[in-house]
Amino acid sequence: MIKNLKRTLSTQKWREGLSGYLFFLPALILLSLFLLYPMAMAFYYSFTDFYLLTPQKKGFIGLENFTYAFSDNEFRTAFKNTVYFVVLVVPLQTAVGLGLALLVNKKLRFTIFYRTAYFSPVVMSLVVVSILWTFLYNPNEGFFNQVLESLGFAKQPFLTSPNQAMNSIIAMSVWQGAGFQMLIFLAGLQTIPGVLYEAASIDGANAWQKFKNVTLPGLKNVSIFIIITITIAAFKLLIQPMIMTQGGPLGSTRSLVYYTYQVGFAYRDVGYASALAVLFTVIVLIISLTQRKLLTEDRG
Amino acid sequence: MKKLLMFLMMALVAGLLVVGCSSSKEETSSNGDQDKTTPATEEEVVLQLWIHQTNEKETQFYLDRAAEFNEAHKGKIRVDVAPPIIDEGSSYNDAINAALVAGNLPDLIKLDGPFVASYAASEVIMPVGQYYTDEELADYVDSILEQGSYNGELYSLGAMESSVMLYYNKAIFAEAGIEAPTSVEDAWTWDEFFAVAKQLTTNDRYGLNLFMNYGVGEWMTYMGLPFVWSNGGDLLSPDGTTAEGYFNGPETVEALEFIKQLFAEGVVSISPSEMQFEEGNAAMALGGPWIALSTQDAGLDYGMMPYPRSKVAKSPSGSMAYAVTSQTKHPEEAAKFMLWMTDKESTIRLSEVTGMPPARKSAFAEMAEYETQPKKIMKDQVINSAQARPQTPAYPVLTQLFAEAFQAAALGEDVQKTLDNFVPRIERELSRFNK
Repeated sequence: MIKNLKRTLSTQKWREGLSGYLFFLPALILLSLFLLYPMAMAFYYSFTDFYLLTPQKKGFIGLENFTYAFSDNEFRTAFKNTVYFVVLVVPLQTAVGLGLALLVNKKLRFTIFYRTAYFSPVVMSLVVVSILWTFLYNPNEGFFNQVLESLGFAKQPFLTSPNQAMNSIIAMSVWQGAGFQMLIFLAGLQTIPGVLYEAASIDGANAWQKFKNVTLPGLKNVSIFIIITITIAAFKLLIQPMIMTQGGPLGSTRSLVYYTYQVGFAYRDVGYASALAVLFTVIVLIISLTQRKLLTEDRG
Repeated sequence: MKKLLMFLMMALVAGLLVVGCSSSKEETSSNGDQDKTTPATEEEVVLQLWIHQTNEKETQFYLDRAAEFNEAHKGKIRVDVAPPIIDEGSSYNDAINAALVAGNLPDLIKLDGPFVASYAASEVIMPVGQYYTDEELADYVDSILEQGSYNGELYSLGAMESSVMLYYNKAIFAEAGIEAPTSVEDAWTWDEFFAVAKQLTTNDRYGLNLFMNYGVGEWMTYMGLPFVWSNGGDLLSPDGTTAEGYFNGPETVEALEFIKQLFAEGVVSISPSEMQFEEGNAAMALGGPWIALSTQDAGLDYGMMPYPRSKVAKSPSGSMAYAVTSQTKHPEEAAKFMLWMTDKESTIRLSEVTGMPPARKSAFAEMAEYETQPKKIMKDQVINSAQARPQTPAYPVLTQLFAEAFQAAALGEDVQKTLDNFVPRIERELSRFNK
């Protein structure tokens, strides 16, 4: 009797497992074709001297691409630039996103209008946004300099100065992406039960205490999700420098991904570009795993 | 069991969907091919040419001229021009690279002059010198043959040249009583050039515009390299095997120090507005032939002077050209077509459409506007001082790094240090081809 039951259970389990895999199959085929296969190829190419124009003549060169990467000044600068971007964008975008979410969560008039307005940059193509902001940042006729000038301040070089270019890109990126974080924070805010706030009011808590002791703990899981996704997205910085500065001036905005692109397609050094891509994946993986360890999620 | 069967069915359907999508794609593409190439008549050689998208008039010229070729060689050769590929970003080069890897390059491609060497070294394009007689080639201006050659073999022919002239605002010059030189022989030296630029710089006007707003790319190399050549320097050794002592050699350093000085003295702007010269906010400008058109449109009275010199007169050169790919089965016919697209009539007509100087001496002789100023200077430079950019397969790396060094000099960085830093990268690239 018991034996029989066990057997039915196991066949049932096996069937369920199989059906799961069958459902997974289409996705698996597509993922293998467009993600796993290219990744495996990149890994293989990273040990070769694959030159874009002579694909049939690639030879195995061992770790040479990787050893060169560690002596490559441009790679080092690109790494530094990317880290600088991430370190500033992640907290800024999280803070702005949270601020906006708190604002539009208030029961005010026109909330829907504000939500749409803050979210609209996210829907726009990053390429379009980058081109528009290049106009705004134009050192001569740009909007920002006209405003500065009319307020009596000196004109700024923005994207044409090695000291300001990256910060200008960061400001634009925060503005562009914060709407998305706002939306997720908003969803998080709406899951916090109203009774908690009522209870806090009865206990005599002021607005700041409510924010600190009710809102923030309630948003913990959402925040972890947001910080990890922004970090990964920020590491992938590419479109902004590509369109706005071509990595300049003096390489001050060249990001890791943009440098990889440049090496692969402009310099045609697919082997080295693949090595850079592999290094990039390892770096992002390590950082994401560390974050995940440090910011433990509450599983409720 | 029934359930399992159902799952299998579902998987099958899912699989079919994937297969179905891919096979339907194949069908459409093969249909597309058929549309493009209507069945060839017997013995007719059919060639394919890829061109990149430029302005409408220019593209139309290529299509018309190819049609005329087909008419003239009816029944023998026919060239199909593929729809032009939009050259935004680098999609034209990407298309060529993709076709290269897939092994279905067209018979003929258009490519930018300085890329001839890398395509030749990689055997993407083939030498064509054997298909032409010396008389046929003698009519091309030297810089076009120089640009089209690699390792002593001819790979490519172009129909148009280009140049960079020193434009000047006639009103400002008249007011200051400055006389502009009218031939390459009398070109200003750097010192004279600097003195005038400095003199004409005022609080609300720059003495010179170098179009730094074009970005860190080919323009900076194209416009900036003659400063190095004119000073007796070059980016690579004459045999093209090393950059050490050339890219960072004393002549190159001196040239970039001169550029640095122009910016340091406030004579040039690092971020000029788009129409700075055309609107009269710069007294002079080192610009391409297209600046003549935009200045004319803006209604400004301008003149042209030769490129300023140090030891020898040098000026930029080079433009898009044709080449025969090594995947073609009919090199002889392809070479014939290339000659047609770059013959006297083609070069004259293309020059009329684009405003760029023609690539043939006989074409210059027939175009009256090149006998008078300002275009006389353009012709003078194309024939007497034009130099092609370095014919090295490492050009993509070389041009990017030179452009970055040029910008670094403009921003006041240490020239010698910047150039020294870039040399190992170039050496690494060269080692690929020196093997």
